[in-house]
Amino acid sequence: MAGMASLILFPMLSRATAQDMPLTQVLIEDEDWKLVSEGHRFTDGLTTDGKGNLYFSDVAGGTTINRVDPDGTVTVVAKDAPRISGMHFGPDGRIYACQGGTYGRIVAFDLQTGMMEVIAENVKPNDLVVTNDGHIYFTETSKMQVSHIKPGGKVQAADVATKADGPQRPNGITLTPDQGTLAVSDYGGRYTWVWRLEKDASLSCRQPYITLRTPTPDLPSKGDGMTTDAVGRYYVTSTVGIQMFDPTGRMGGVIAAPSDQPIVSVAFAGPGHAYLYVAAGDSIFRRKTKTSGIESLSKKRQ
Amino acid sequence: MKPMNSVLALLGLLCPLCLSVPASADYPLTADSKPQPGVPKGTVTQHRWEDSQVYPGTTRDYWVYVPAQYESSKPACLMVFQDGRGYVNEKGHSRVPAVFDNLIHKGEMPVTIGVFVNPGAIPATRPGGKSRSNRSFEYDSLGNQYATFLIDEFLPAVTGDYNLVDSPESRGVVGISSGGICAFTAAWERPDYFSKVISYIGSFTNIRGGHVYPALIRKTEPKPIRVFLQEGENDLDNLHGSWPLANRQMAAALEFAKYDYRFEMGDGKHSGQHGGALLPEILRWLWRDYAGVKQGANQ
Repeated sequence: MAGMASLILFPMLSRATAQDMPLTQVLIEDEDWKLVSEGHRFTDGLTTDGKGNLYFSDVAGGTTINRVDPDGTVTVVAKDAPRISGMHFGPDGRIYACQGGTYGRIVAFDLQTGMMEVIAENVKPNDLVVTNDGHIYFTETSKMQVSHIKPGGKVQAADVATKADGPQRPNGITLTPDQGTLAVSDYGGRYTWVWRLEKDASLSCRQPYITLRTPTPDLPSKGDGMTTDAVGRYYVTSTVGIQMFDPTGRMGGVIAAPSDQPIVSVAFAGPGHAYLYVAAGDSIFRRKTKTSGIESLSKKRQ
Repeated sequence: MKPMNSVLALLGLLCPLCLSVPASADYPLTADSKPQPGVPKGTVTQHRWEDSQVYPGTTRDYWVYVPAQYESSKPACLMVFQDGRGYVNEKGHSRVPAVFDNLIHKGEMPVTIGVFVNPGAIPATRPGGKSRSNRSFEYDSLGNQYATFLIDEFLPAVTGDYNLVDSPESRGVVGISSGGICAFTAAWERPDYFSKVISYIGSFTNIRGGHVYPALIRKTEPKPIRVFLQEGENDLDNLHGSWPLANRQMAAALEFAKYDYRFEMGDGKHSGQHGGALLPEILRWLWRDYAGVKQGANQ
């Protein structure tokens, strides 16, 4: 009877889960976080290329950009790169990066030649993303601003929040797989905000589309680094862990942080871009998932 | 409905395969939900709303039903259906235009304009972009944003040509699943505007915090809202919560706070079939004391 009952219930359950995205669609039982790299000061800026290499910076004190190959080998790929907080590959194959502190600029590293180009100065960048057609969007947390650089163009404000509306401390930034929606986490609030990317690359239709969990009702989420996966789920690092949301903004669950150190950046990389990497203070961890990052959809970023 | 459920429950005990019978077979529509000879038919027109300031960038389809009995010299009542396409559909779970035609003809509900509105979507503007659904944001969020959309923006614009009664007693708000909690939220936030709520398989679960309503209801001075909740024993149990438990909690809270409510628990799944079959009865109950309404067959 028990076997029969489960057979009968199965179609019901499968229909129920079809429209919902619990953590079990992403996490693999018995696949926990594994240490990838340690001994850094404060890791940040996680991003990947088309081959599944992970890149990260050491924003507090370190001066290198590092690469983790899919097999786990860690290599320094750029020296003399201090204060790098956010990184993303552009369609030209260079790593675009936020360089904070007294530098206050957006730079691009060509890992083949070792050359660094200054893209914009006199900014206060925190994190950035680059579209497939070369538009750079970056957060300027202290200015409550999302900024935009058109290919070859100058910095312009794409959206500025007010104290009453919009992200108070815009921090992490990511794109949906179709590159039609831009999302920005609010480190000082409890939402992740989204915009539509228009044909002219301007931002419109701002909404607090995703509600983040906070440790207590009166504390901010500390929503920080973000990424999306191939089916359009959003991942946001925060005080309570990595918060996962389905493409319609409904929470799927919270993935526990690997250690007691603050988590500030996430990316899918590794074989098949199926590993979720996280920057946790002095270390980088990863865990295998059932999903994969959006870079797995595109071969443009080799 | 209840004797029928008992029979089915008994069959279920005797023969587990009976559980796989589709819920639609358990809850057939009655004559009140089908066109009847000699009953005047109202008109249904389809439109699109693209001018929202409350939800910038959204577009949505909507339909307006105007009963044959409507006369511009006499103010009519208003009911608003979320996920409107499903309610206005002639072959759908509820077939509201046919139900309204029949009940208005019999005088069992007042002359009522029906507005059926879909949730918004934000169409992509970049090549290759996908439309982004705004349904969960609009329906599952607590707070007054959706009520503001309906009351201050959408309804005045789309019903402006009609003479409507200006009182909460004359207005109802209806929905299914996330549209069910949305309908409740609209009335909870604006009982000065809506006094009647129908929820089929309402998502009073933690999709975006809606599981707190039973607690809020118990510790809030009762609001003048009449609520009908329909739910099914085999409804969803997933990451957001258990729909049957959540609806039981809602019913218990409404009972505790002495609301004018009814709760109908069937054995269906996450489906509109039971709610649709009940709709004529629900409408007679909701409108039972409205001026000029006759007492219906099941009162």
